Amino acid sequence: MNPWPVATPPMASPGPNHPPLPAAELVAPAELDRLQRWLQTVITHPDGVEAGSASAEAMRLIAAGPGNLNIVVTASENLTAAERLAIYGHAYYSRLIECLGEIYPVLQRAVGKEVFDGFAFGYLQAYPSRSYTLNALGKEFPRYLEESRPPAAPADSGSDIEIDWPLFLVDLARLEWDIYEVFDGPGIEGRALFSADDLLGVPPSRWDQVRLRPAPCLRLLTTRFPVNAYFTAAARPPTGREIPWGRPEPSFTAITRRDYVVRRYTLTQEEHLLLASLLKGTPIGEAVGELALVARMDDDLLAARLNIWLRNWTAEGFFESVYFG
Amino acid sequence: MIQPRLGCPHLGLGLGLRSVHFNHILEHWPEVAWFEVISENFMDSQGRPRHVLRRVAERYPLVMHGVSLSIGSADPLDFNYLARLRALAREIKPGWISDHVCWTGVAGRNSHDLLPIPLTEASLAHVVGRIRIVQDFLERRLVLENPSSYVGFAGSTLSEWEFISRMAGEADCGLLLDVNNVYVSCRNHDLDPVHYIRSVPHHRVVQFHLAGHTNCRTHLVDTHDHPVANPVWDLFRLAHQLVGGASTLLEWDARIPSFDKLHAELLKARNYMGPNFFPEENGRTVPVSDDGPVDAAVPHPLHHTAVEVQ
Repeated sequence: MNPWPVATPPMASPGPNHPPLPAAELVAPAELDRLQRWLQTVITHPDGVEAGSASAEAMRLIAAGPGNLNIVVTASENLTAAERLAIYGHAYYSRLIECLGEIYPVLQRAVGKEVFDGFAFGYLQAYPSRSYTLNALGKEFPRYLEESRPPAAPADSGSDIEIDWPLFLVDLARLEWDIYEVFDGPGIEGRALFSADDLLGVPPSRWDQVRLRPAPCLRLLTTRFPVNAYFTAAARPPTGREIPWGRPEPSFTAITRRDYVVRRYTLTQEEHLLLASLLKGTPIGEAVGELALVARMDDDLLAARLNIWLRNWTAEGFFESVYFG
Repeated sequence: MIQPRLGCPHLGLGLGLRSVHFNHILEHWPEVAWFEVISENFMDSQGRPRHVLRRVAERYPLVMHGVSLSIGSADPLDFNYLARLRALAREIKPGWISDHVCWTGVAGRNSHDLLPIPLTEASLAHVVGRIRIVQDFLERRLVLENPSSYVGFAGSTLSEWEFISRMAGEADCGLLLDVNNVYVSCRNHDLDPVHYIRSVPHHRVVQFHLAGHTNCRTHLVDTHDHPVANPVWDLFRLAHQLVGGASTLLEWDARIPSFDKLHAELLKARNYMGPNFFPEENGRTVPVSDDGPVDAAVPHPLHHTAVEVQ
């Protein structure tokens, strides 16, 4: 069962807007464009190539239709024109769905292959690839899940799992896409980074002028479920037991890359607030001041935490450099 | 010693560089003559794939093999893509740049498949014109591969070997003769692969591809997930003899075996290359497994980046 049914647009009735093309006319540059648009329409149709050839779009391009495909595509000794076209139609979805499964392996594991494939099938129809690289194939998948998720059940329906699980999947997809982008995006490898001592050596009187330049690979992610913890559990060797998705809980994750390996850090809300402020270019003094107004901790505790956080973050390469201004 | 052809050096026997073998290569630096890299996997990379590529480029000759040029598409050429292709070539200095005689999408879309071109005078002129533009842009000769195909067009007026022969001559480009693709396409189109091999312009062939395919009873699919089949080895022997030798590359893209197994499969090619190339091994027969026919298979395995995360 696909818990997130994919709507298929209703098919317009086919109509012969164009007479069947004589074979020789399929070859002029304009005809090449028409033939390619037709073939693309037919082999990417979600209901298969025969439905694709009967679609209004295909019929507008070349009025072949399922019964007349051989005016465009030849049969072989073993296969009809439709069967030959179906090799491409089958390949189109199965290859790209497999590719999406490799980009989103934890999400696939969470929902199972059948449900995941249903999501991917719907996604490829809503957001067909327009890039020369497969590395961009999964870019809009989190958005697609968000846009296509069923509406939340009323708060008094009594089942929090039913209410919230689509959000868990959207959040997990966002985490996986961030990881995917960070892995092959710009990084800090080979660069000399500043140390925590460099930073903590700046006198407090100058903290209102000092700012931190974040590493280009650093991402902060706010989610409605603790998906980073789920990801960690899913990355361990399988135990045969289901990994619980966890209950809704605002969660904060930093994602970065060091030595070409993506690293994930679960953050407290206070850490997230401070990091988010620093990433925007807020001077350290001002960012700490903002945090002090909302953090439920006294000044001594905040100072001690600040010391630990800044040491950890600099050691992990969250920041590239410190600058004044 | 085989002399460079069309400006492309003779590199010997090479393998496709795949991410599952990165660690093995970096640890062992195996004795492979050269690597072919999928251009799109590296042209935008700013992470480990590009880092590994730079290290591999320090030790091995490389060739760039693309899957997204879409030279036969009715869409305009993508000069953003070409600029990235050129930038990567300037960095890693490949022996040559290759892609396929195909189109991958139209109307701005990309199917990420290698789709067949109608074999006509008009599409030939279209492709030749685009090859010239790309060669001017890249400032080098392009090398184009015959793809596997599963449909033919009623409007085609040329055979595939006529098409690529005239294309290579009129555009003055090189050919990457994929022997497995010749076999797969000819079986699928009820044509004679030996005639195909005999009919292409041998002086334009700068590279061979070898790969495994899947037998689906009614047709063959170019799956790159098997050892090279015996009939393909036989075709390779003929092609190698007619061409007079060319750089040879084994592709294996799904169910990829260990590097050592892959390398061993590549080295079987020596048995089909004739006494002038590897005299000590000439004549040895090589058993090739046959998994038998299957019902469905997916052509042209995809390549994309595999993530490492902690």
